This record gives sequence, structure tokens and C-alpha cells, in this order.
Amino acid sequence: MTKYIIRRLLYMIPVLLGVSLIIFVLFNVVSGDPTAVLLGKNATARQMADLREQLGLNKSLFSQYLDIVKSAFTFDFGYSWATKQEISQMIWQGAYPSLCLSIPAFVISTVVSLLISVFVAYYRGKGIDLFVRVCCIAGMSISALAYILFFQWFFAYKLGWFEISGFEEGFPNFISYIALPAIIWIVLSIGPDVRFFRTVILDEIYQDYVRTARSKGLSEITILLHHVLRNAMIPIITYVVIQIPSLILGALLLENFFSIPGLGGMTLNALNSSDFPVMKAMAIISSVGYIIFGLISDILYTVADPRIKFK
Amino acid sequence: MKSLVLVLCGILFMSLGCSKDRNFDERELHLISPEKISGFDPIHVSDMYSGNESGKVYEGLFEFHPLKRPYELMPNLAESLPTVSEDGLTYTFKIKKGVLFHDSPAFPNGKGRELKSEDVLYSIKRLADPKLQAKGWWVLDDRIAGLNEWKEKNAALDASNYAEEIEGLKKIDDHTFAIKLKKPFPQFLYALAMPYTFIVAKEAVEHFGKEFLNHPVGTGPFILPVFEQTNRIVYTKNPTFREKFYPSEGEEGDDKLGLLADAGKKIPLVDKIIVDIIVEAQPKWLSFQKAKADLFEIPKDFFDSAVVGGKELAPDLKSKGIRLFANAQLDTTFFAFNNDDMLFKTNKKLRQAISLSWNREEANKLFYNSSAVQAQSVIPPGLGGYRKEFKNPYVKYDLEQAKKLLAEAGYPGGKGLPAITIQTRNETVARQIIEHFAKNLEKIGVTIKVGMNTWPELVNKVTKRQHQMYTMAWGADYPDAENFLGLLYCPNSSPGSNGSNYCNPEFDALYKAATILQDSPERTAMYEKMNEMVAMENPWVFGFHRTKFYLSQAWLKNYKFMEFNHSQFQYLSVDLEVKKELSKKF
Repeated sequence: MTKYIIRRLLYMIPVLLGVSLIIFVLFNVVSGDPTAVLLGKNATARQMADLREQLGLNKSLFSQYLDIVKSAFTFDFGYSWATKQEISQMIWQGAYPSLCLSIPAFVISTVVSLLISVFVAYYRGKGIDLFVRVCCIAGMSISALAYILFFQWFFAYKLGWFEISGFEEGFPNFISYIALPAIIWIVLSIGPDVRFFRTVILDEIYQDYVRTARSKGLSEITILLHHVLRNAMIPIITYVVIQIPSLILGALLLENFFSIPGLGGMTLNALNSSDFPVMKAMAIISSVGYIIFGLISDILYTVADPRIKFK
Repeated sequence: MKSLVLVLCGILFMSLGCSKDRNFDERELHLISPEKISGFDPIHVSDMYSGNESGKVYEGLFEFHPLKRPYELMPNLAESLPTVSEDGLTYTFKIKKGVLFHDSPAFPNGKGRELKSEDVLYSIKRLADPKLQAKGWWVLDDRIAGLNEWKEKNAALDASNYAEEIEGLKKIDDHTFAIKLKKPFPQFLYALAMPYTFIVAKEAVEHFGKEFLNHPVGTGPFILPVFEQTNRIVYTKNPTFREKFYPSEGEEGDDKLGLLADAGKKIPLVDKIIVDIIVEAQPKWLSFQKAKADLFEIPKDFFDSAVVGGKELAPDLKSKGIRLFANAQLDTTFFAFNNDDMLFKTNKKLRQAISLSWNREEANKLFYNSSAVQAQSVIPPGLGGYRKEFKNPYVKYDLEQAKKLLAEAGYPGGKGLPAITIQTRNETVARQIIEHFAKNLEKIGVTIKVGMNTWPELVNKVTKRQHQMYTMAWGADYPDAENFLGLLYCPNSSPGSNGSNYCNPEFDALYKAATILQDSPERTAMYEKMNEMVAMENPWVFGFHRTKFYLSQAWLKNYKFMEFNHSQFQYLSVDLEVKKELSKKF
């Protein structure tokens, strides 16, 4: 397994080179000149030329590509063009509020969805199963924005149970700020999660080994929890683990509406202000995140199914 | 599992009802900023919201009077208005004695030192420092004798040499200095009231280095030891702030409005300012209704909830003592033709036909709740050069005349005219306005397409002249029509601020002559002539001068709309008794 992990980590090198190339083409070749935006509405041609020089945009394309490769491997992203802050510090500052919201919301929504899925799989075909499916589809049909606007107005403004917006650092201060967006996150996630988990569990329920288990006299609940769920874990692990890197990137809409100073808002600001270094940093971090969590999900397969061997 | 559920429920209930209590012991001013703050380095503060924050901790030599209109400059860090040499080129300034920078680790023993002439000269040099690429450089570009040369010379060095003397920047003594201009620049004092020229201390810049923008050390009425990119900024009263008093004069009627009740009182009048950065409209609106903000600009989506019949405050808000302010802005919205494009450059009648086809009254109703003023030309009301009685003959909805002019332009019924693409910013309202414009132009046979862009894409297309038309709004940087007329001055063509690339030698000659004149009837007459000249030429389809609507809580005192409000917050106050009483209603 160690050899497998080392090999997978080494695969990161060509993947990162590829990612760097795509980022380079996107920002340095396809995108326009950022200096006009960075200098504001009164920028002069001379000033724009000077800034291009200072930002290294006049360097050869190969040299600019090497800079991106270097930052991808060293994680030294330099300074933001727009805010002049150190990017690693900006990411560190933004990651905390983003994770305060996303981790509890993600964990709770995953656990609740899994429990509901097992429950409806147990009562498959019954009225309660139909009811949950209808609720999931109805829930998914309503836009996220509608949930945010209604929950914010009703629970925060009308009932006054939560803060309308904002964020405070430190436990338990942040709870009153993240509770409502976290609830919205959970409500938004339950629909698609339950539908996926239920399908995966039902796929397993009709397998031969389940029939064998039933014929041996095992109870339905034992079969569901000890046999079906375990075998259904591979697609569930893939589905869950691969979402983790996106947690770091933050939830753009929720962060915006609840004024949570996370990474989602930071990335959007960077996009609006042509802040290429920040955008590049976020693209690199998310790529690395996907590679690492892809590897973690592979490793977890062996836990879920000991028959899987790494070669 | 049971215990986990209990813990989760416990955490949830901890959060319920734990909304923060209001503070009735300290005079706290609660404000909302609708945009993120880009930092506190004055030379880079180009947007209004960052300017408002910088103005709480930093100060300039001058500021706009908080009450008098038209806007009037008054000395701030300067002792008085400068003396100006006969040729109008050399300005001698005296600065106030005993003004202290905020206490900061940047100074020996952490104690802020006195402001000196060197600080002003240093702050001006920073604006020109080629290593810093200041956003505000344009205000002094090619204005001060020797400054451009200093910038040029230092571009080649590893670090800029601040010790080098500059012809146009002379220290006379610790509290006196002179600035020599290259040519007359009547807007110079306005430039010294803008955030770009706020005074910083060299020690702070050097001590904090690249982190200087997060450690504002000014002389202003409030202090903010560290700025973090969170969504709340908390300022406290500067304990070493000099003796500065609330003005005892204002505009006619200010007395009746209670705006002079604090006359002669030492400012700042509040102990703390809390600024919440809230980008979306709904949380802003709900926060204000929960009395978590004292002042609030009504977003378009909530206009009908706040204002009845386009003028009156909604009764539920009125019952809480909330007040409504409608304030005409110094801005102009427009659709600009790219006059570099041969389609428009040589075809004035086509431009005029397009202008006549837009039903502005309907647009005003749809997009501005009928509160905006139709722009007859480029200069907004409130600035010299605007004549209320002047009516642009092409700013009206006249389809018959539009069709006639279109035919004379060579495109009868729009035949032979290619579809015209209007570039705009990726925003719902901007798109809706173009769609309304397009629907109107369909009636004379002109096809309009919408080009949606992110802000950087739009700026790139305009600066590289890759557009046929684009739409934008221009807000005043200072109260002088020159700031608007420059948008049509040929030497400012793309990538400069003249994105329409309009060139008219007669207009350019007038602009060149007028912009070196001090404010005078002669200059105003020249501005009027230029304004009316471009109205007939229609390099733009003139849009609107917009109105901003604000709501203020009953306990907020001394609020009066200011277009250039960087230093306004020190004059605002909170009536704690009223707040305590009325808060029960929220």
C-alpha cells in the first residue's frame, strides 16, 4: 500500500504540470489585460504599461508559465494584486470561516442523509418511502436562493432566532452566525444525497448475497446495516470524499448572503478585480485537494471492502 | 448516538435567541458597507467605500464642509487656505500645530508624534513612487514641477529615493511648505481633499512594510490598530485627536432641521463606529429593520417596501421614527458610441436617431422608480456648466423624427444597418436596461445585441477599442465639471477615460483653455458651451443623473447627504435616549 500511495503522490507531478498549463492558458493567454481594472477608472496608458512591467506580464510566456509551476509546487502564491496582501495569509484567514460553516454542515447533512436513506430503504415501496422521495424531489426543485431568502427572512428576521448576517471568530461565538446557513446547507444537501444513497443501497438490496442472508434467517435490519450498507459504501465514499475539497472553497451564495468572510467571497472578489494570483492560488489548491482526496477515497475502499488490493 | 444528538441540540439552542443586545451606554454608530474594503493605504483607495473607511483614520489637508452646498472646501490639517503666487503656480500651505499621529508601535515608545511638513511632502511623493503604482497617481500626474521627472528617474532604481529634493515640493519649516505646479491646476485643492492625498507617517510605512495597508496610522478622529479582511470593522475614538469642533454654519434651513444643534461641540461625536460589510440587498434591509444599522441606502429591490408612491416613507417605517433622504447624485449614466467605429464616427444623424428612439420616461419608471433626472448632456445638476433650462433636442422620445433621421443617415427603416452590440457589465439591471433600449430601437428597425462581460472584460474591450457601444455611469471625483468633460476630451481617448473616443477640435480647444482657469463666470460659460456642444453631437446616448435614497434611524443626528463623504462620520452623532426609547419598537 505504501508503494501505491507513493506512486499516486508521484502522479501528482504530471497532474500539477497539466493544471498549471491550463491555469496559465486561462489567465495569461485567454484573459485580457488586468491593469486597467487594477488601476481604476482614471488609469493612464503609461501607468498601465508600467504596471504590466511590474507585475511581470511583459516577461516571456515560458517564464510566466514557470512562475505558475513554481507556485504550484512550493505553494508560495505571492501577493494579491488587488488587496496587496499575502495570498497564503488571505487563504488562511478565509479558510477558518468557510470551514466553520462547511464542516459541521457537511458532516450533519451526510449523516442525516445516510440515516434517512437506510430508513427509506428498509421501508422501500411503502408510503413513507414515497413521501421521502417526493419531499426530496420537491426540495431539489426549489432554488437555493429561495431557501436562503426565506430562511433568512423567517428564522432570522421574523422569529429572531439567529443573527441575520455576520461572523465572529471563536467558539461558541460563531455558532449564532453559522447555525442558519448551516441549516440551509443541510436542507439543500439532503435531497440529492438521499436520492443517491437510497439508489446505491437499493442496488445492493437486490443482490444474490442479500437473498442468501434472508434465507439464512437474518433479520432485515441486520442485513441492511451489516451487509448492504457495507457493500454500498464504495460509491458512497467516492461521493462523499470527493466533495471535501469543495468545502475548503467555501459556499459562495451562503457566504455572500450571510456575510461570512470565507474563501467563496474572496474568490469572487478576485474574479471581479482581475486578481490573477488569487484566482491561480485557488485553482491550484482545489486541484491539489481533488488529487489528495481522490487518493484518500481509494485508500478508504480497502477499509470498506478488504477484497480490494492496491497494485 | 443519543449523546451526539443531545450535544447538537444543545449547540443549536445555544445559538437561538442569542442575538447581541444593543448598547445604550456608548454612542455607537452602526453603518453598512455594501462592498469589501480593499485596504487602508490611501494611495490605492480608489472606490467610494474604501475611501469612506480611510477617511475615519486618515485626514487630508482639506475637507468638504459637511453642511454647506454647493460643496465648499474647508481647511482640515491645513491651518487655512493656501496663499497662491501671482502666476497661480506656487501654493504655500501652513499646517496645524499639535496634530498627532495615532499611537503605534511604528513610533518610539509607541507614542504618535506631531504631524510635520515633511509628512505631507512624503505622502505626495508616495503617490508618485513608481514602485507603488498608486491608483491615485492620475490626480497629480504632470501637475507638480519635477514630480514626474522624479518618478521617471526612480523607476530605474531598486528603491525610490525619497531624500531627493523635488523642485515643486519645498519644505519651508516644520509647519509650512510650498508646492509649485507646472501649469495652472484649478482643481488642485480638491485633489488635496481626496483620500489619495491623505497624510501618512513615514515611520508607519517603513515599520509595517507590505502590511502597511492593514495597519492604518493616521491623524484622524478614529483608530483602527489592525484591519483584517473580516466582515466587520470596529473603530474607536482617537484619544489624542486634536481640538476640532462641529461647524456653526450651514446651508439655509439646516438650523430648522437640527443640523446645527451640535455647533461648537468637540468632534468626533460618537465613541465607536461599527461597519458591517454586507453585500446582498436582503440582509442589509433586514439588518436595518432590526435597527442593526443607523444609516442605509435603499436597494432597488426594496424600494417599494420602503417608499410609497415613489416619494413617501412607508407608514410602518415612519412609525418607528425612520427618516427618508432623497439625494441627487453627481453622476451621469450613458450609452457611449465608439466614435472610432466608422459606422458612428461620420454619421451624426445615426447617433441622433438612436438617441431619439429611447423612451427615457419609461426607463426612469422601470429602473429608477421615476426618481432620476434625464441627462441632457454630460454635466450633472449641481455643477457649474449645467443649465437647467437647456434641453437637448435629441433627448426625447420621438419615433417619427428618429425614423426620418435614420433614413437621412442612409438606413431607411434600418435597412442595411448591421446589428449593434452594446457591451455591459454582467449585472441584471444593466442587462435589463439594454433590453429595454433594444426593444425601443426595434421600433425604428435597429437591432441591438447585448454583450455581457465581467467588469475586467468590459474594461478590456473599452480600453482596446473592441466595442461598438458600451454602457456605464460616471460619478464625480470632485465637484468640478472638468471631471465630466474630460470624458470627451480627445487626448483622453482609450485606453484613457474617453472610452467613446470622441474627438472634436473645437471642444478640445475649449477644454484646454477652460481647465486652467480658476472658478469664474468665464469658466462656467465655457463649460456650458462645451456641455451644449456635445449634447448636439451625441457622442453618447445620454441617460440619467440618478438619485440615491437613504433611510436613517431616528436617533442618528446630523446626517446630511454628502457626495464626498470621507470625513463626514466624525460629525454624526447618536441620541442614546431616543435610541433606548425607540428600540422597543424593533
